[in-house]
Amino acid sequence: MPNVAMKRPPRGQHYTEEQLKVQHLKPTLRQLSGYLLQKRWPLAAVFGFTVVTTVVSIIGTRLNGLIIDRYIRTDRLKLLAMVCLLMVGMYVVASGFNWLQSHFMVNIAQETSTRIRQDVFTRMQRLPLSYFDQHPSGDLMSRLTNDVDNINTALMETFIQLFTGVISVVGMLIAMLVLSPALTLVVLLASTGTYFLSRQIAKFTQTAFRQQQAELGQLNSEIEETLSGKKTIQLFEQADQVLTDFRATNQRYVHHAYQAQVFSGALGPLNNMLNNLAYALITVLGALAILHGYQGITVGIMFAFLIYMRDFTGPIRNMLDLINTLQVSIVSAERVFAVINAPAEQDAPHVVMPTLTGTIALQHVTFGYQPEHPILHDISLTAKPGEMVAIVGPTGAGKTTTINLLTKLYPLTAGTILIDGHPIDQLDRYALRRQIAIVQQEPFLFSGTIQANIRLGRLDASEADIVAAAKAANAHDFIMQLPAGYQTQLSDRQQSLSQGQRQLISIARAFLAQTPILILDEATSAIDTKTEMVIQQAMDQLMQQKTSFVIAHRLSTIQKADQIIVIDQGRIVERGTHAHLLAQKGLYWRLYRSQFQGKDV
Amino acid sequence: MFQIIWQHTRRWQRVCLFAAPLVMLMEVFCDLQQPTLMSKIVDTGLAGSGHPQFILQTGGVMLLIALVGACSGSGCNALASYASLKMGQRLRNHLLSLALATRNGHDLSTPTLITRITNDVIQMQNLVMTLTRSLVRAPFLLLGGIVMAFLISPRIAWILAIVVPVLLLFMGLVIRHSVPLFTKMQQAIDRINRVMRETLLGIKTVKSFTLENQQQQLFDQINQQVQTSSVAAQASVIILAPVVTLALNLSIVAALWFGGGLHASHLITTGQIMAFVNYMIQITTAMINTVNTVSSLSRAQTATARIQAVLDLPQDAEPTATVALPTDTTLRFEHVNFAYPGGENVLTDIDFELPAGAKLGIIGTTGSGKTTLVDLLTRLYDPTSGRITIGGVPINQLSLAQLRQQVAVALQNSVLFSGTIASNLRYGKETATDAELVVAAQAAAAADFIAARPGGYQAQVTQRGNNFSGGQKQRLNIARALVAQAAILVLDDTTSAVDLATDAHIQQALRQVRQGKTTIMIAQRIAALQDSDLILVLDHGHIVARGQHATLLQESAFYREVAVAQLGKEVLTDA
Ligand SMILES: Nc1ncnc2c1ncn2[C@@H]1O[C@H](COP(=O)(O)OP(=O)(O)OP(=O)(O)O)[C@@H](O)[C@H]1O
Ligand SMILES: Nc1ncnc2c1ncn2[C@@H]1O[C@H](COP(=O)(O)OP(=O)(O)OP(=O)(O)O)[C@@H](O)[C@H]1O
Ligand SMILES: [Mg+2]
Ligand SMILES: [Mg+2]
Repeated sequence: MPNVAMKRPPRGQHYTEEQLKVQHLKPTLRQLSGYLLQKRWPLAAVFGFTVVTTVVSIIGTRLNGLIIDRYIRTDRLKLLAMVCLLMVGMYVVASGFNWLQSHFMVNIAQETSTRIRQDVFTRMQRLPLSYFDQHPSGDLMSRLTNDVDNINTALMETFIQLFTGVISVVGMLIAMLVLSPALTLVVLLASTGTYFLSRQIAKFTQTAFRQQQAELGQLNSEIEETLSGKKTIQLFEQADQVLTDFRATNQRYVHHAYQAQVFSGALGPLNNMLNNLAYALITVLGALAILHGYQGITVGIMFAFLIYMRDFTGPIRNMLDLINTLQVSIVSAERVFAVINAPAEQDAPHVVMPTLTGTIALQHVTFGYQPEHPILHDISLTAKPGEMVAIVGPTGAGKTTTINLLTKLYPLTAGTILIDGHPIDQLDRYALRRQIAIVQQEPFLFSGTIQANIRLGRLDASEADIVAAAKAANAHDFIMQLPAGYQTQLSDRQQSLSQGQRQLISIARAFLAQTPILILDEATSAIDTKTEMVIQQAMDQLMQQKTSFVIAHRLSTIQKADQIIVIDQGRIVERGTHAHLLAQKGLYWRLYRSQFQGKDV
Repeated sequence: MFQIIWQHTRRWQRVCLFAAPLVMLMEVFCDLQQPTLMSKIVDTGLAGSGHPQFILQTGGVMLLIALVGACSGSGCNALASYASLKMGQRLRNHLLSLALATRNGHDLSTPTLITRITNDVIQMQNLVMTLTRSLVRAPFLLLGGIVMAFLISPRIAWILAIVVPVLLLFMGLVIRHSVPLFTKMQQAIDRINRVMRETLLGIKTVKSFTLENQQQQLFDQINQQVQTSSVAAQASVIILAPVVTLALNLSIVAALWFGGGLHASHLITTGQIMAFVNYMIQITTAMINTVNTVSSLSRAQTATARIQAVLDLPQDAEPTATVALPTDTTLRFEHVNFAYPGGENVLTDIDFELPAGAKLGIIGTTGSGKTTLVDLLTRLYDPTSGRITIGGVPINQLSLAQLRQQVAVALQNSVLFSGTIASNLRYGKETATDAELVVAAQAAAAADFIAARPGGYQAQVTQRGNNFSGGQKQRLNIARALVAQAAILVLDDTTSAVDLATDAHIQQALRQVRQGKTTIMIAQRIAALQDSDLILVLDHGHIVARGQHATLLQESAFYREVAVAQLGKEVLTDA
């Protein structure tokens, strides 16, 4: 059935209504205010400053009128001079406070987002590896950057305006009540209407915002993935296809963002309209009341009332505009807190861990990355201190997975692993990992100097130690040929080293580490045989005092292992020494033979 | 800045860019009508014994205008959102396509490119939003206020003539001072993004080496820098609002004071002073809004510059297929030398010819330049001197599309993309049929494990192929290159993580698949190389030996040693 080529499936996830509902509004707000409460004194100060500046501005406006009525009209210049001086003083103080208020607020907002970032990062490092299997790093990055920024902006803008708003609203409400309770009622009705309208729109926009932020995460994931895989994309001339996919995601993001912004942006004008309606109502009702001599309302009262109403509804309008900002920030806060609140790696209550002798026993270990799809079945093996255990098997058999379990990167589905007799789930994972040195199948180097990268093996290593480790790993020579030697900066996914060179650096880390347990997961796969043989000698020496697990395909490197475990499809199918396994003529023998297969063709 | 915005908008969006502020003016205009109408009600409606009819009518008009105002406001927002989001969309597409099109070796690293395309574009989007909504409104109110103030009373308006220019100058200075601070902040943000990103990508390493504390310290330190520099940057602009307010409030006081004096001399009326003060208040509000707009402009300045740098990435002029694709795939390297920018020679005098359909094996020490040699063939880099030809045509006369259609590469590190197995394999050839995928997967010994996955070819691949084992990724990588069915096949050490039995199987299958194709195979395993028509032994960028398996066993000490180590002593006697 020669199919017509199918279009690549869209990479974006799609979200159900359920997922997009505001599920965690209250807890999110609580958590957010938890952060702010840590700053309660500075916030109180901001509140104080705001009271001063707002009151000054209210009084200032009144004084302007008073000055004209009482002093200018009557030409009392002496008194005018005094009042003017008073106002100058007031304004200087108010501006000073105004500055202080912004200054404090900037600090509060920045410190809070610094804290949030820090909390996210701290928690991120403690999340189990399976979390990262499920969440693309681009999306996580988007949470750490865009979403934290949104929170920051909201904090900056919202709080000052809320404070100012509340104070003017209260002040003006009192003034209005004094003038005319009946008209005040009209204003209050309009405000309530505004409030409910905003609530309705808010519900709607929050969904749109959530979708917008989710799409943004997806967009960022794609950017991240595309740029990281640039070389492959270029070589396969896939730029057009990738860009087409990207355009689709981009379009989806813009679509949702547009919805979110149009609706949330309509909030302000709609509120404004309600205010204008109230304005019109009061004018008309006021005028009619005057005509009918009702409640002693006069033109003057109506006039003053309208001015107060402007000052009353203005801040309310402002505050409702803020709902806008708040919405984005709440959605963002929710996304950020989702990371902070994700369950961390399971850890044991701190057991004091002695230096291990390195007895390791796996007992009936079963494991699957998704528990319903087991990858390892009933694995049992024991390694005594100083022993070298080789794990052999076809690709995808589960060798790396076994190693992942030893270092507690994933929790076991069933069975136990004992290290020095302690079940692994009762050991502190840091303490455990600190006693295991591992060379991973796919080494990861950090940006920074080569020296710093080797030092990761043992953080307190001296420079001499590092050079010695590099020599043992046969990395010294090429490092010295680099322009800055050990101080050469690695950056940008370390493209400037060859694959094998990266592996050498990663091996040097293992030489540096002084741990009782050593794990080599195809440590030399990208290294040429000659170099490998040189390293092997140093490695043999290193392994003498350690319990070691070695995964290797070139069987020559593992012939001298104390025991060889052969894994196939997640089960141990054979075990024994090299000679013993060859004699069995099973899978190991076949693997061993295939080494020479090229020759008999 | 405006240029970037202009270039990334099209007809309707450009219309929106201008329409949004106009519609915004409409809203302002509507708002301003209300007091006038109100005064009409008072003046006319209440005149004499009152005209309830007129009052209700005018009230109706007020309601209508309120409605129109709301529509204009929402309309302005809709237009502005449209323009800004569309601009962002185009800009993002453009930047990503540029980033993908540039050759390697430019100095923008992947992480900063990522921040620029993600965060900085968002900043630009916000900028357009601000510009279209407030840039017109505030200055208009400002200008209007000033003009009115002068019309009312030139005798006190001179205060404005002093204050406004001084304030403008002050704003200019503050903003100039703030731009480098914002740049510094952005740099700190870049750094923190890098740490976060690396920790995410290298999380397995971080955990295995218990680097959490170290990374945390590093993070905290940079986080602190982000905080300090953000506070510094923002602190540099928050001075604007209080100073402007103060200056204008003092001007009001001055107006009252001088006005009072003039009033005593009967040179000005109370009404004029009142009106003047009202306009001053309007000017204050407008000025503060202008300040906010301008300071967001200065913030966007940094983002703009960073985006501009991406837009300015050198785009080498690529030949647009001046020659037809040669059918002959004879490969020649003629005295090729190469050094990475600013480095020493990595390849020296590489010179060989590979007949069409032949297999070239390359073996060599770690870092000897094998991968680089292949990168030259696919023109990820260009040789410093010498030339490379395919079928006699120098490869720099072919368009990149032609060249890469001709050459399929399985890279040394197997990059997979999130999607499905099928979508990854189709990177090689978009139009490949399912049957073709299966054939390629079989040759790469991947068919079995693909079939074992739930979903088979539609099984999910997560980011970077994290849910596959090392050897599985490598086999998908090989299959992807095979799907392309290009005339020249390059395999760069692609079976290093594959067990020997599977490797032997792959080599066997490849022998079938590569019939008639020119093949370059880089490998560490002699078994994979020994049937090559030509084997190059590379060391420190030099070809130190060349020939077929048997010759090299004789002539190259390196080759012999490796062969003996892998295949045993018998290899010497067999040959
Ligand atoms: N993070 C993951 N999520 C889901 N499945 C995974 C994950 N990592 C590995 N697998 C699957 O588990 C199985 C065992 O993988 P593992 O990496 O342990 O193989 P391996 O024996 O190390 O193979 P290789 O020699 O190729 O490295 C494979 O089928 C692989 O696809
Ligand atoms: N982008 C780069 N910038 C600068 N130097 C580089 C860059 N890429 C590789 N090098 C250097 O060029 C040399 C050759 O690298 P190359 O990747 O070609 O080696 P290789 O023979 O493929 O090695 P391996 O067997 O380890 O894959 C190495 O010394 C490496 O450090
Ligand atoms: Mg593995
Ligand atoms: Mg290489």
